[in-house]
Amino acid sequence: MSELTYRRMKDLPSTHLLGTGTPMCAGCGGLNALHQIYDIIGEKSIFINAAGCMTLLSVYPFTPFRGSWLYTAMASAPAGAQGVRDALDVLLQKNRMSMQDDMQVVVLTGDGAAYGMGLSATSGAMERDLDFMYICYDNEGYGNTGQQYSGATPHAAMTATSRGPRGFPGFKKDLFSIWSAHKPAYVATVIGTEPLDLARKIEKARSLKGPRMIIALSPCPTGWDYDPQDSVTVGKLAVRTGVWPLKEYVDGKVVHTKVPHPRKPVEEYLKLQGRFSHLFEPQRDDALINEIQAKVGAYWEDVDS
Amino acid sequence: MTRKLLTGNGAAAWGARLSASDYIPAFPITPQTEIIETLAGWIDNSDLDARLVTLESEHSMITAAAAAASTGVRVFSATSSQGLLYGMEMLYTVAGWRSPFVLVNVSRGLASPITLGPDHNDIMAARDSGFLQIHCATCQEVLDSTLIAFRLAEHTRVRLPVIVNLDGFYLSFTREPVDIPDSKLARQYVGDYDAENIRFRASAPLSQAVAVLGGSPYSYFRYESHLAAQDSLEIYHEVTEEFNQLFGRQYDAIDCYRSDDADYVFVMMGSFATKAKEAVDQLRDTGFAIGLLRPRLMRPFPAQIFQQLLACKKGVAVIDQNLSMGMGGVLHSELAASLYGQAHAPPLLMSYIGGLGGRDISSEEFFEIASELRLSAEQGKTPPPRLLYTKTELREVRKLQAVAHVERQDLDEGNTHE
Amino acid sequence: MYRIRFHGRGGQGMKTASRILGTAFFLQGYEVQDAPRYGAERRGAPIFAYVRASKDPINERGIISQPDLVIVADDSLVPVPGAGVISGIDAHTVLLINSDEDPDTWKQRLNFNGSLFTLPVETEARAELRFIGATCTGAAARLLGVISRDALTQAIRQELAELGDAIVEENLSRALSAFGLMEAHAGTVNAGSVVSAHDYQRPQWVDLPFDQARISAPAIHAAATSIAVKTGLWRTMRPLIDYEHCNRCWWVCSTFCPDGAINVDDEGYPHIDYDHCKGCMVCVAQCPPHAIASIPEQDAQAADNEEARA
Repeated sequence: MSELTYRRMKDLPSTHLLGTGTPMCAGCGGLNALHQIYDIIGEKSIFINAAGCMTLLSVYPFTPFRGSWLYTAMASAPAGAQGVRDALDVLLQKNRMSMQDDMQVVVLTGDGAAYGMGLSATSGAMERDLDFMYICYDNEGYGNTGQQYSGATPHAAMTATSRGPRGFPGFKKDLFSIWSAHKPAYVATVIGTEPLDLARKIEKARSLKGPRMIIALSPCPTGWDYDPQDSVTVGKLAVRTGVWPLKEYVDGKVVHTKVPHPRKPVEEYLKLQGRFSHLFEPQRDDALINEIQAKVGAYWEDVDS
Repeated sequence: MTRKLLTGNGAAAWGARLSASDYIPAFPITPQTEIIETLAGWIDNSDLDARLVTLESEHSMITAAAAAASTGVRVFSATSSQGLLYGMEMLYTVAGWRSPFVLVNVSRGLASPITLGPDHNDIMAARDSGFLQIHCATCQEVLDSTLIAFRLAEHTRVRLPVIVNLDGFYLSFTREPVDIPDSKLARQYVGDYDAENIRFRASAPLSQAVAVLGGSPYSYFRYESHLAAQDSLEIYHEVTEEFNQLFGRQYDAIDCYRSDDADYVFVMMGSFATKAKEAVDQLRDTGFAIGLLRPRLMRPFPAQIFQQLLACKKGVAVIDQNLSMGMGGVLHSELAASLYGQAHAPPLLMSYIGGLGGRDISSEEFFEIASELRLSAEQGKTPPPRLLYTKTELREVRKLQAVAHVERQDLDEGNTHE
Repeated sequence: MYRIRFHGRGGQGMKTASRILGTAFFLQGYEVQDAPRYGAERRGAPIFAYVRASKDPINERGIISQPDLVIVADDSLVPVPGAGVISGIDAHTVLLINSDEDPDTWKQRLNFNGSLFTLPVETEARAELRFIGATCTGAAARLLGVISRDALTQAIRQELAELGDAIVEENLSRALSAFGLMEAHAGTVNAGSVVSAHDYQRPQWVDLPFDQARISAPAIHAAATSIAVKTGLWRTMRPLIDYEHCNRCWWVCSTFCPDGAINVDDEGYPHIDYDHCKGCMVCVAQCPPHAIASIPEQDAQAADNEEARA
C-alpha cells in the first residue's frame, strides 16, 4: 500500500512538520533530508540522538520536533532506542498504555556515530531484531567538530585532519553492506535531493517491522566547502555521477532504485567542492581523478553484471 | 516471609523480583553474572513478568536502562567493576536525565592490573555521577536495600538513579540466611512507579536530555540534581522508617555499632565492616571503649550525621577499601571535609588503606589500628596514612617478581628500602 | 589594558580579525589575549571575538563586559538582541561600525554620545563580506593608535599565510586603506581600567531554590518551540519570489528548503517565511523557471522600511 502514496512529485508533502528555527547551517543537506523524512514518519515518533551536528537541533528550551526526542551519547543511541522500544512494548503488553500513545522509535546520528563509535551498538540492535528506524545523516566527516575525517570520508577528500596534497588516503567504509550483512528488515540509501526516491523508501521503511536502516548522504556546505546555494546541485551530482548509489536491501536482495544513465564524469561532482579543489588546482591531478572515476566505474560494473 | 540461604547475588535478584521490575537490561561480568542468570531463569519460568535484554556493552545497558525508565517502566540492572567504568559516560549522563532506576554494582577491583578480587574503587569512580549510593554489609541488606532503592529513586522529590553496592565474593558468592519478604507486602512497600510528566507518550511530546548553551542554565540543571541528591537524605529516612514498620529491620544512613559511649571509632563501609564489628566486641572485652560507624549512604553523604555521631570522640580510624592515587582513601577525605571546623570534631582522624583487590583484613590488624589510634591520641600526633600490608606479603611478592625475571639488583635495592 | 570586542556573523572571519589584531599588538610588544566565542549557531549566526592587550601581564579572562572598542563587521547585527553588540558600552567606549549610514544616524539610533565611526561598505563585498575582518582590523589598529603600519602588515601576512599570496595581498590592501582612512582619529581609543575592589557593585547572589525534577529536568514539554528562534537574522541575502513567473511546480523550493521555511498555499504558490529563512539561496538555484531572485538583505530591509513609511 505504502509505495503507491508517492507516485509523482505532486504527491510529496507541501507543508512541513519539522519546526523552523534550528541552528543547523544554512544550506544543510542533512536538515534537508530530515525535514522530508519527518514529514513521512510523522509526529508520533521519538528521535533518539547521538552526539553530532543534529544534537543541536534541541537546545533548551527549543526543539523543532512535534513528537519526542532523547539525546543519549555518541556511542549508544541504538541502545537508547532499545530501552524506549522495550519499555513501550512492556507498557502495551501490561495494558499500562493505550495503543494511541505508541510511537515510531527512530535513531538519528551522523556518520561519526554510525560508521564508527556507535557501530557496535547498531550491530547489537540489529542482531536483537529491534523494531526501530535508523537515520544516518552522512556528511562524510566529523562535521560538528570542524570536519575531521571519519570512517565515512571519501578517498582524497581534504578534511581538517587530512590536509596533505592527496587528501584523505583511506576509502569510504561500505556501511550499507555492513548493515545489510545483519539481514535487517530494510536498508536504503537516500539523499534529500531525490525527494521522490526518499519518500518512497521512508514510506516503505515505516510500514515494515524490525530494524530499518537509512543512510542519507548529506551535502555539507561547511564541511565540503561550497556555496550553500549549491547544496542541492552537489547532491544531485552525487547521484548522477554514480558516486552515491541509491539502493535498497530488502528480503535479502539489493535493488538499485535509480541507475544514473549515462553517468556524468565524477569531476563534475568533485570540482564544485573545496574539499576536492586540490585535484584541480594549482595543477590538475589526473591520476587521482581517474582513480576516483575508476572506483565508481567498477562499482557500477558490478551492479550491471 | 521465608528465611533461606541466599548469596548476595541471589538477594539482589530477589530484590529486583519483589520490586516487580518491568525491564532488565543486562550484560555479564564477574562477579555479578549470577544476578542476571537468576532473573533470566525466573522470567523463563514465568515467576517474574519482566523483559530481560542482553545489550552488547554496559555503556549500552545503562543507556537502555535509563531510556526505559524515561519511558515509564520500572528498571533494574546490575554490573561490576570494569563494566561500571565502561558505562561511566552514561552514569553521569542518565543521572542528568533524572531517570530513576536501580543498578546493583558488585564491587571488584579495577585494572590495572586486572583482578577479580573486590574493593571499592569501581563504585568510588561513580561518586560524583549523580547516582545515589547505598552500600551493603550483609546479604539481607542487599535484598532490603534494593526495595528501598526503588522507593528512593522514584520519589517525586528525588528522581535520581540509585546504585546498591555489594562486595564481590565476600557477599556476591557468599550464602547467608536471608528473610525474603512477603511478595504482596513488598509490592505494597515499593508501590507503582509514576513517571509523572517525564515520560514518552505520543500524546505528549517531550524532548528529554537536551543540550544547553552557556554556564548559567548548565549550572542550574547540575545544581538542581545536587539539591535533589541532598534532599534525598530526608526521603531516605522516611522510606527506611516505613520499611522498618513493615518488615522490622532498621537501616539508618549510618549504621552505628557500640559507638554511643565510645571514645574511639572505626569508620568503614561494605562487608568488611562486619569484621570491624567483631573487632569492636573483642576490644571492648579488653576494656577499650571503641565503636564502629558504617555509612550505608555514600551519596548523599550523611555529613551532618557524622558530625553529630563523632562529636567529642578522641580519635577516628578510617579504613578505606579504595585508593585515590596521589591522595589516599576517599572516605577519609570526605570525612575530613565533613568534620573540618566543627566545634567538637575529634582531634585525630587516621587513615588506613586495606582490603584492596580482596586482600583480607585480619582481626589482629583491627586491634593494631586501635592500639595506634590510642597511642596517637595520647601523643597528640596524627601518623601518616598506612597501607595494611605485612612483611610476609612483601616477601611473597618478591618471590613472584623473581619468577617474573625482575632484575635481581633492582629487587635487592627494593629490599633495602624495607 | 585595551579590551576590544568584534561582532560579526559566522563565516565573516571574526576569529581571524581578532587574531590579526592580537598578533599586531603582540608584534608591538604587548601582552595579548585573543579568543573567539560562539555557540551552537552556524554560518550567518551572530558570533563575537575579543582581544585584550596590555603592557603588563593579563590576568583577566573570558567575556569582555566593558569594552574600550567595539567593532561591528555587519551592521545588521546591531539591532539583534542576541548579538549583544551594545552590551556594556558607555561614553568611554569607541564604536566602529561597518555601515553605509553615517555616524550621526547611528549615534542617534543608539542614543550614544561617545566616539562612533563608520566604515563604508563596498557594495560588491556586501553579500559575503569576505574581506571585512581585515578591513575592520586595519581601521581598529589606527583608532587604537599604538599599532604601526608595519606591525599590522606583518600580522596580516602571518595570520593569513595559509590562504595564498593573492588573498593576503587583497586583505592587506583593504586593511591598509582602512588604516589610512582613520588617520585623523588615531589614538581615539583609551585603555580602560581594572575593576576596583574599593567600590564595587555587589553580585546579587541567591540561594538556588530546590525544584523538583518535574520542573528542573532538562526537558522540553512542548512541540516545535524552535519556531521562536528567528534564524532569519542570519540572512545576508534574501530570496524574493516573482509570482508572475512562479509556475506552481511541485513545490521544488519548499521541498529543497533545508529549513522548511517555504510553505505552499492552497493555490500552489510558495511563501517564504522570512523570520526563519537563513538565506542559503538553494531555492534561488533550484527554482525551475528562475522565479526567485536574490537581493542583499539590507536593500530588502530598506525597501521594506520605505514601504512601511509610504
